[in-house]
Amino acid sequence: MSDYAKPLPILTDENRPFWEACRNGRLSLQTCSGCAHVRYPISRFCPQCLSAEFEWSEMSGRATVFSYIVFHRAYHAGFRQDVPYNVALVQLEEGPRMFSNVVGVPNDQVHIGDPVEVVFDPVTPEVTIPRFRPISQ
Amino acid sequence: MHPLRDTCAIVGVGASAQGKVPGSSAISLSVEAFKRALDDSGLRKEEIDGLLTLPGQTSAEGALNYLRLGETLGIDPRFTGTMNMGGATPGVMLQHAVLAVNAGMAKNVAFVFGDAAATGGGKYDRAQGWGDSSSIWGYMSAAANSAITAARHMAVYGTTSRQLGEIAVACRYHASLNPDAVMRTPITVEDHQASRWVVEPLHLLDCCLVSDGGVCVIVSSAERARDLKQKPVLISGMGQAYTTQNLGREDWWYAPHQRTSVLDAYAMAGVGPRDIDVVQLYDNFTISVMLWLEHAGFCKPGEAGPFCEGGRIQLGGELPVNTAGGNLSESYMEGCLHIVEAVRQLRGQCGPRQVRDAEVSLVTGRGQALNCANALVLRKG
Repeated sequence: MSDYAKPLPILTDENRPFWEACRNGRLSLQTCSGCAHVRYPISRFCPQCLSAEFEWSEMSGRATVFSYIVFHRAYHAGFRQDVPYNVALVQLEEGPRMFSNVVGVPNDQVHIGDPVEVVFDPVTPEVTIPRFRPISQ
Repeated sequence: MHPLRDTCAIVGVGASAQGKVPGSSAISLSVEAFKRALDDSGLRKEEIDGLLTLPGQTSAEGALNYLRLGETLGIDPRFTGTMNMGGATPGVMLQHAVLAVNAGMAKNVAFVFGDAAATGGGKYDRAQGWGDSSSIWGYMSAAANSAITAARHMAVYGTTSRQLGEIAVACRYHASLNPDAVMRTPITVEDHQASRWVVEPLHLLDCCLVSDGGVCVIVSSAERARDLKQKPVLISGMGQAYTTQNLGREDWWYAPHQRTSVLDAYAMAGVGPRDIDVVQLYDNFTISVMLWLEHAGFCKPGEAGPFCEGGRIQLGGELPVNTAGGNLSESYMEGCLHIVEAVRQLRGQCGPRQVRDAEVSLVTGRGQALNCANALVLRKG
């Protein structure tokens, strides 16, 4: 049994390939077979052309910090030990944006526009969460 | 001329006590507000044939809805519904009321809101989303969305936390002149800076209140309004716009749909920013006021920070903002009270906080994760 107390993804047939890929150290998103749009959040249908045909394709893992905030209060008991903790909106090289955390550096050392790359954080036997660390320049 | 311009009027407004009202429920506060608005209008309860509501943040007996509300008020409406657009809902309900009256589906529409968020146990502590939701990474709370916007506005335009503080200070000053406001002790920018972080870059004094209270607004045709108790306040312009895309939209953080909603309202009313005497801008967080100032054309994109300095947005300044104290200091009623304050300003009922010769007011609302925006241009009848 895991003692991980933070929210976990609810695995479904639709999102399982994303989380399986993370477990294997890959950031993989859906690329539409109809219009080549790379999408996130995960969805059965492409929001551009509504095609249900897609492939899971591996992302480079490189991104930039699009916006960045620091939580000084916990809205969920699982994060109580972590405050202050950061959340970044990161812009992936391939286009989509996702919320994540910047790790391996103090909160006040992260700035909007910083280049970052994905790292994988196994939190339970089933779930590995993608986070990002600064790319040293 | 737009065919619906000035066809309807706000004929009654009412609010219950605000703040902490222990022993009350969303429904009892709603009824209190309804009775006051009805009395304000001079209409009889039997004449209210349209009823709209929104669920609010909490309620021990479950979310407020039109059936429960109708049952409690003893009204069987011809036009009704529960709308759920967060802080954009009041403006949307008002616009639906205008459509219903013009379509002949109702004669007098009341929108009624009640909430017991302060003492009833809020839902703010729940993890957001579903499935692969952002709460996995700890991204939670309404504050987070506005913090994302504020951080980006600061990085792109050089906006400062002190400039955000000017908005909190102006709203609190206005609340100090409003006997019905919850937070009435004036503050300074230094107080704002010294208040604790909530979600950085937002301090506690960047955040709206969490309140109990009820609000009701009644809409009738402009023709009917002429025979009622109050000087009518005409609904001259209306606009709504939405973005359903959050992560998928490059400028989601800047909520450009807000601009669309204001431009539509201006166009319908035949006015522009120079014609506006007083504004009630949705302020769940201070940064929201900056976006509205930019999108409504009072300053250019990126210039709201300096615009808010030097008392420009305070009473006596060039553009008084949120003259009753707003969500930041009057009470958080999902923005319902912004409409009430605009009506009272245009009627000239605001005493020490009255904007002299106020004839045209802009009221804006925004809700959900920045997704829903709307604007109203109201005019003294």
